[in-house]
Amino acid sequence: MDIKWRNWLKKGWRAAALAPILLLGGCAHNPYWIFDPKGIMAKTNLFYMIVDVVIMGAIVGLTALLVVWFMWRYQKGKNRGKYDPHWSHSNTIEVFVWGIPIIAVGFLSYFAVKGTFEINPYNPTVITHHMKPNGDPVEVDVIATDWQWLFVYPQYHMAVANELVLPVHTPVFFRLTSSAVTTTFFIPQLVGMIDVMPGMRTKNALLSNHAGEYQGIASDFAGAGTSWMTFKTKMVDKADFSQWVQKVQQAPGTMTYASFNRFAQPYINVNHHVVYFSSVEQGLFDHVMTEVMRGKTWPLPPMMTENMVDYMKKQAAEHRD
Amino acid sequence: MLVDLPGGWSPLLGRLAWSQIPYANPILAPLFVAVVIGAIIVLGLITYYGKWTYLWKEWLTTVDHKKLGVMYIIIGLVMLFRGFIDGLMIRTQQVWAVGPHSSGVFGSLHGYLTPFHFGQVYSAHGLIMILLAATPLLVGFMNIIVPIQIGARDMAYPYLNALGLWITAAAAALIMISLFVGDFAHNGWFEYAPIFEMQYSPGVGVDYWIWTLQLVALGTTLGGINILATIIKMRAPGMSWGKLPIFVWASLSANVIALTSFPALQVALGLVAADRYLGAHFFTAGMGGNLMLYTNLFWIWGHPEVYFVILPAFGMMSEIFPTFSEKPLFGYITMVLASMAIAGVSWLVWLHHFFTMGAGPYVNTAFSVATMLVGIPTGVKVFNWAFTMYRGRLTFNAAMLWAIGALFLLLIGGMTGMMLAIPAINYMVHNSVFVVAHFHSMLLVIVYAIFGSVLYWFPKVFGFKLDEFWAKTMFWLFSAGTALVFVPMYMLGFMGMTRRLEYVFNTGWQPYLDVMEFGIVVYTLSVLAFFILLYVSVRDHAKNRVGADAWGTSRSLEWMTHSPVPFYNFAVLPHINERDEVAWRRQHGIDNVRPEHYEDIHMPNNTGVAIILGGLTFVLGFALTWRIWWLCIVSLLAIIVLMIVRSFRGDPGYIITGAELQRMEEEAYRREAQIADSHHSHPVSGGVVGNAMAYQRNDSSK
Ligand code: HEM
Ligand SMILES: [Cu+2]
Ligand SMILES: [Cu+2]
Repeated sequence: MDIKWRNWLKKGWRAAALAPILLLGGCAHNPYWIFDPKGIMAKTNLFYMIVDVVIMGAIVGLTALLVVWFMWRYQKGKNRGKYDPHWSHSNTIEVFVWGIPIIAVGFLSYFAVKGTFEINPYNPTVITHHMKPNGDPVEVDVIATDWQWLFVYPQYHMAVANELVLPVHTPVFFRLTSSAVTTTFFIPQLVGMIDVMPGMRTKNALLSNHAGEYQGIASDFAGAGTSWMTFKTKMVDKADFSQWVQKVQQAPGTMTYASFNRFAQPYINVNHHVVYFSSVEQGLFDHVMTEVMRGKTWPLPPMMTENMVDYMKKQAAEHRD
Repeated sequence: MLVDLPGGWSPLLGRLAWSQIPYANPILAPLFVAVVIGAIIVLGLITYYGKWTYLWKEWLTTVDHKKLGVMYIIIGLVMLFRGFIDGLMIRTQQVWAVGPHSSGVFGSLHGYLTPFHFGQVYSAHGLIMILLAATPLLVGFMNIIVPIQIGARDMAYPYLNALGLWITAAAAALIMISLFVGDFAHNGWFEYAPIFEMQYSPGVGVDYWIWTLQLVALGTTLGGINILATIIKMRAPGMSWGKLPIFVWASLSANVIALTSFPALQVALGLVAADRYLGAHFFTAGMGGNLMLYTNLFWIWGHPEVYFVILPAFGMMSEIFPTFSEKPLFGYITMVLASMAIAGVSWLVWLHHFFTMGAGPYVNTAFSVATMLVGIPTGVKVFNWAFTMYRGRLTFNAAMLWAIGALFLLLIGGMTGMMLAIPAINYMVHNSVFVVAHFHSMLLVIVYAIFGSVLYWFPKVFGFKLDEFWAKTMFWLFSAGTALVFVPMYMLGFMGMTRRLEYVFNTGWQPYLDVMEFGIVVYTLSVLAFFILLYVSVRDHAKNRVGADAWGTSRSLEWMTHSPVPFYNFAVLPHINERDEVAWRRQHGIDNVRPEHYEDIHMPNNTGVAIILGGLTFVLGFALTWRIWWLCIVSLLAIIVLMIVRSFRGDPGYIITGAELQRMEEEAYRREAQIADSHHSHPVSGGVVGNAMAYQRNDSSK
């Protein structure tokens, strides 16, 4: 029943959301990533957004109409409504004035609590309650550097920089940390944001049943290279995923503690390099976290991107990939 | 040296070196030349007209709360303009740098600002708009209006008041000089750990940010203490708490927030400074530091701060609506309770700024529900304004239009705030331009309320009204700009566009960015309209003079004294009979009663100490930024010595005799009578003492 209601709400909302797009020329697919979720996490987010917008929109909309009506009715000189120069209090109205927001907030609070547990990134019940016993979850260790993403697949002892490939119909569990500064991991159509912090481990999870390519973003400002710190997320079916794993496992590059040290040097990924690492030194994720906790940093030179064109030449000249 | 300083350090100049002056920058160098030429012209004009003594005596050394308030507002408007230019630059970069094929100039790959400069521009934009535009503008209005509304002759501590102003001015000067000497912070108005640590922000930008914020915090705290003491101790006889004008209540609640929250910021900044100057590890990722602690400390101040700026704006709206609805405010008591509730709850919600940090669901839901609780008193306020209009007689002059605009923006901002308050929604739009659109809706409530107040209280302070036609033109242009910029911004938020992008990787967002750029152009026109408004109003000021009650339907005490308000505010302190004293007196036909005799009054002396101390704090901030230790020590010592010396001397004040007072009062009454006469002889175009005629004139000028 719950699900039906969601679908019904969603249809209406889609139509409403599409209206402005049609006005602006319209294109084949929905550019509103938030309204076009392709994973259960993002879908749940959208559901709560609709609930909130419906409840608040009703109140706010009616209030706006009320104000407009008063503006029209009581305009001076038009004599539409009665003028009462001393009227300034009414217990009945006061009851409504406090009552309506209190009831609305009470109602929304229920949804707020429910939703927070459903998509709690550490234990999202929308995923864990749907997990099928045969679909083994995929684990990904995410390490953000200045300014690249390294996705380690510990189950396959391999890693990929700046591209995420995952199987559909399979729960994915992330552990995330950063080598340098704080940023945020975000794939609008699949899963909401989670902070990625140096010396710390956060978690997130996703589950998607739609093959396709989705944009991943470093959504918290992390310095000069943030705008290019994007990554494509490819949801592929299980057979394709196994094939892809085999491909990565034959790549020439490897990732060791030492090569990570070089990899984590400041690097602005303007050309969206994707790099495969066929093997990864055991425990890289924990190693990075421990090193950072011990005080390791990857400092930036002063005024680094004062001139970006020059910086890119310099980076190209000295870079290691 | 406790920390490594990339780029060298010398005992004489600290980190300052020629290479820190961006003389080769194609934007900053011409700007610098223009500023220097402009400054020379202004200084030359002052000298030519021999205005230096006037300036020094009447403005720079004044302790008159109204003049200080006017100077606060001038600083606020200048910084609002600077912040607007920053905003224009941000929008232009983003509309230009879309997709890999967009062109780039001035050393950028795309657009015209490199990441190094773009980061500085938006960081300065945010800090300036919140702390050096909105805050001084509001503090300025509180400074001017609160003492008059409670029937006081000045603030409780006039000298402290001047000190607060000059420290704020020093902060503004410090952030302005960062344009031309060195660089400003890059990482947003709240910076964040550990990116503000020396390793990741090796320049002086973050140091400028620390000391600018410290100075603003200091100035605002001093101002807050003063306003609170004034409200508590200086009310006119008969003004019980239940008769306090609503703007005073708003100021009270706002400054309770300021006084209690700014210290948290100052402590946080102190710890940041310890990290950067002493090599401490409070907020580093390693060595036992805790970067999340900074985020918490910042928002423990940061969230109350946003209510510190919105509450006075609510107070302004609560003054404007009744005056132009010709009716008392609906639900005074609930309005007061709502303000206090907002002030209280604003302490319990800071975590909603980082729901995504990974706190457990229990923590997140607790803060989510607390955040939504703020929506209750906010909603109450909106309803109360609506019911103030109900059964009223509404005049839609420019001040009222701004207030109504603020109300609608509050509905939008409140609605989106309630969305952000739910973690399940927040995860999707946090750090996106949706948040940016939310808080601009809210901050625009403040801007709208401020422009409404400028129009509303201008005649009180300067004795003449601003031009209605240009005020309305400005309003409509500004509102068109608001719609054109922020509707697409909300839409981009739903498309997943994140904030602070120097390069926009998705070409699908281009059309929306184009519309926003057009909106900025419209905003620019409204800025022009504002300048024309000032020019036209000053040109025609003789026509638009007003008497004590400029609007004819005013309600609170400030409308009882002359316009412009004499420096002593009230020749005889009024006795307060009712909540809306002026409306009550008008109703009982005693609004024109004159005092029978005048007694001697006591007023504070001017002092040059405040501006000198302000100047010294600027020097201290600059020296700390550049680590010029000898200058730090010298300026700090000078500040301490000067404060001690001044505290021993004190201020005996001076006496205005009753006779002198009577002479000045009669002079003022004569002036008011003239305005009334000129009104009778030119019934159409002339200015009027406030009465119903004023409204008809406004209506026909549409
Ligand atoms: C109904 C009342 C309000 C609610 C429920 C609310 C809720 C929120 C929430 C949850 C956020 C965090 C968004 C995020 O970063 O994910 C936020 C951000 C913000 N709000 Fe509000 N808000 C309200 C009123 C206001 C007011 C009155 C102001 C100030 C004028 C304001 C200014 C801001 C600012 C400046 C930020 C973002 C700061 C930044 O990240 O740079 N809000 N608001
Ligand atoms: Cu802005
Ligand atoms: Cu907040």
